[in-house]
Amino acid sequence: MTTDLPDDLEAAGVSGDDVETLSLEPDRLDGHTIDELADYLDAGMTPADPTIDDSPACQNALDALTRVRMLSHGALEADALDEDAREDDWITEIITNISLEAHAGRDIPLPPLKETENSVITEGAVRSIVRRAGDTVDGVLIGRCTLEGDVTTPGAPVVVRVWARIVRDHGATAEAVTDAVCSAVEEALRTHTEMNVEGIDVTIRTDGAAPVPEEER
Amino acid sequence: MSDQPRRVDLADADDHTLVERAGHGDVRAFEVLVRRYGPLMRSYARRVLGRSDDVDDVVQETFVAAWKQLPSIEDPSKVKSWLMRIVSRRCVDRVRARRDHDDIADHDSEGPEHETPHRVVEARSREHALTLALEAMPAPQRRAWILKEMVGQSYDEIADDLGLPVSTVRGLLSRARKNMISEMEGWR
Repeated sequence: MTTDLPDDLEAAGVSGDDVETLSLEPDRLDGHTIDELADYLDAGMTPADPTIDDSPACQNALDALTRVRMLSHGALEADALDEDAREDDWITEIITNISLEAHAGRDIPLPPLKETENSVITEGAVRSIVRRAGDTVDGVLIGRCTLEGDVTTPGAPVVVRVWARIVRDHGATAEAVTDAVCSAVEEALRTHTEMNVEGIDVTIRTDGAAPVPEEER
Repeated sequence: MSDQPRRVDLADADDHTLVERAGHGDVRAFEVLVRRYGPLMRSYARRVLGRSDDVDDVVQETFVAAWKQLPSIEDPSKVKSWLMRIVSRRCVDRVRARRDHDDIADHDSEGPEHETPHRVVEARSREHALTLALEAMPAPQRRAWILKEMVGQSYDEIADDLGLPVSTVRGLLSRARKNMISEMEGWR
């Protein structure tokens, strides 16, 4: 059993093969337990504890602990790369299950086609219309979308709030993108609903947008 | 705008956007999340449950539960760890249902539950060695280690998920740590 290994293990020419077992008991770790060392690592090694920092045995154990942690940390991601691409059946099953639990929201009245008919479109369907319209703008994806106001009453004023993200930067200003999203959404809502849209409020997020080279624009 | 808009593929969207859309009923956005994190969740479930048919079931159940809970997610950009927590709870439920006796509890003094002797020294690689070392651990230690060091949960979260006192979790991790370091010493 080797203890009190020098700080600069490698410089001293000591290879892993020479270290049979690393001692992890407090009497070999200058009075510290391996759990104290783990907590010290978790705390980012602050505040500095000289009784650990200046102990070659503790440093050695910390190195060993860090190695197994790093390896563990990457293991799941590495496993995931080896997972077979799932047949579509597996995903279809999930999608079928969740479709039964659609987030439909409120019922929004549509003008009846016949007098006896009571037509509605769900809030979820209107959001879908908004998303589809906003997504047609270059490089943009719509995120959240809310309908504010009493949408269940025909003619009641409604404010549509849309959060959009510029995913691919085609060089348009945020203002131009906002206008484009706004008019796309407005047109789609006018075509497909009877809502009294009083305003469309678009919030654009640009962080993380990937620039698109000019020749591809 | 050009005549032919250059649409962004949903598969390229960031988690935040996908979660917002899925939370508002966009099934396609949810499907992208399933494809993006399904493999990681299956890897996790496989580590905990071993090779069994349960793995696919548990991950499917997790996604169905996630869909229902998505509108209430606090931080959409942390959907990955949020999903990992749900799958981890579901795995624990599955282990409990599978065995009547309390496998989750701290009965790990009996040694490894599997029959194959672990031969960490014969591993093909460090990654393989890690797998063997994990398999050699008693199940409660292994689960605690996976949650702490692979999923990144806190002691409190692990205690909550496994239904154990924090002190027991600390004990399990303490032994897991020593076992892991000793087993992996030859693989630096």
